[in-house]
Amino acid sequence: MAGGTVAAPRGFRPTSGLLLVLSLFLLWEVSARTGMVDSPNWPPLSRVLVALVRDTASGEIPMLVGSTLARMFAGLAAGTVAGIAAGLLFGASTMAQRILGPTVELIRPIPIPAVIPPLVLFLGLDNGMKITVAAVSAFFPLLTNTAQGLRAVEADQIAMARTFGVPGWRRLFRVTLPAILPYVMAGLRVALALALVTTVVAEMIAGEQGVGHYLVLMQFAGRAEEMYAAVLVLALLGYALNRGFLWVERRSIAWYFATGRDG
Amino acid sequence: MTEITRRAALGAALAMPLAAPALRAQSLTKMRVSVLPVLDTAPVHAAIAQSFFAGEGIEVDTSSTTGGATGLPGLVAGQYRVTFSNTVSTLLGIREGLDFRFISGAARSLPQPPDTMAILVRKGSGITSGKGLEGKRVASNTRNNIVWLRGMAWIDKTGGDWKRVTTVEVPFPQMADALAGGQIDAGLFSEPFVTSALETHGDKLERIGWIIQETAPASSIAQYVAMKEDLEKNGELFERFVRALHKGTDWVNAHAGKPELLQLVANFTRVPLERLQKVAFTAYPKEVSQPEIAEMIATMTKFGLGGRYPAPADLIFRTAKA
Repeated sequence: MAGGTVAAPRGFRPTSGLLLVLSLFLLWEVSARTGMVDSPNWPPLSRVLVALVRDTASGEIPMLVGSTLARMFAGLAAGTVAGIAAGLLFGASTMAQRILGPTVELIRPIPIPAVIPPLVLFLGLDNGMKITVAAVSAFFPLLTNTAQGLRAVEADQIAMARTFGVPGWRRLFRVTLPAILPYVMAGLRVALALALVTTVVAEMIAGEQGVGHYLVLMQFAGRAEEMYAAVLVLALLGYALNRGFLWVERRSIAWYFATGRDG
Repeated sequence: MTEITRRAALGAALAMPLAAPALRAQSLTKMRVSVLPVLDTAPVHAAIAQSFFAGEGIEVDTSSTTGGATGLPGLVAGQYRVTFSNTVSTLLGIREGLDFRFISGAARSLPQPPDTMAILVRKGSGITSGKGLEGKRVASNTRNNIVWLRGMAWIDKTGGDWKRVTTVEVPFPQMADALAGGQIDAGLFSEPFVTSALETHGDKLERIGWIIQETAPASSIAQYVAMKEDLEKNGELFERFVRALHKGTDWVNAHAGKPELLQLVANFTRVPLERLQKVAFTAYPKEVSQPEIAEMIATMTKFGLGGRYPAPADLIFRTAKA
């Protein structure tokens, strides 16, 4: 799995990825301080951190992060539910796949930011539009992974359940859905990253909400420190969400990893 | 997969809700106004801060559209009741058949320098006029807006052929770096970016012209716009809106250069106060005149933005008339 293990590293290792991150931060500081990059739009990291700490202590950044996350999770939840539902439909019915497949494949590759201006026409500039953008981004990875998972459920598992006389609806909830869960979780992980990105992009384009708007406002106000503080917040947010997700995944489908498979 | 499982899966699929939520709520006296976080919109913010809108029974909710041009499309879509827009973009929409009407003046250039827009080049580039820009790359934040139009007019007035100049779109925040770094040969800047570019890149950049003041002093820059249909149905509401807005304009004009105004602008633009103290402000007019719209249409026609425009008198709502 690309994200590595969940367990915290015990002791420092020279091969730790943290070393590269720290080196890049050092390069940032040095390049800005020595004039390697001579622009007011490239402030030293230390000044960015000062702005970050100040705006975090004032409560502004926590409030913005909270509102962005609320929109992102609302969209993610709606997109996940709809994506799983559509994925089950696709996986279970070849007819549904035949009828809806071309439409889904046509819509799926469209970059969401490209359709935000027309979405404004129908859904406005506020939560409705932004949550929908996040939901649409989350929808497709869930759909494809769920459909793929459903097709991959081992026939033996279903046959055994049937032999034991497990009724259809129970088979769905006790055999089929748990069996496709690893696929759903893989889709959810992709959806999580996409939902964060598209929520922030939607905030950057329209309305006065969240980290995205703060980032653009600071850019236009010529306040590079605050703008990069927002960029750092987004980087940390993305990292934390991914780590958090891996933690949840390891616990929710522990049986899957126990079989020696690794996502 | 068995028939029963398939049916169960289908059932589960159909049972799950598919629709994403759409949240919208509006009350009668709530008005949503599209603004930009620029100095020109100070009267709206003053009218909110001084409770002038509240005094007219209106609650104004501003939405700034820094990142994308959603102001006029949002007005057409009914997301906004009023949009702050530069004159060129509004007129281009009107030319395309959109029923925008000017309900109030917003920003006008001053009759003498300083101007809120300037053309900057690299020091030592030898470029001093439009003639020197032929075959060069000139940056504008957007093509076919007020900044671009006055920039082209300045090039024309100073001996250059605007058609032989390559315009590239560069957002204002990145323009100074692009110019200093040699990616462009000149930049059409608007305040507060003129001041900040000269402040941060003063050793590399210089101003060679005030693009509005030298081509059309005391001319139109931006207005507040609403839809004709909305104005016909709710004229009284817009009268109240503009009355409050104009009290905001009076407040801004009465506080020109004073700390209260600078603090107000710093609050909504987030531009540091010390920079705002050096920035050039526009004039804040209340009315929109037929000659200024006629001049704009004539200039647009000269620079390739001609077409069938209605008579200026038909575009000005009663609240914007002197």
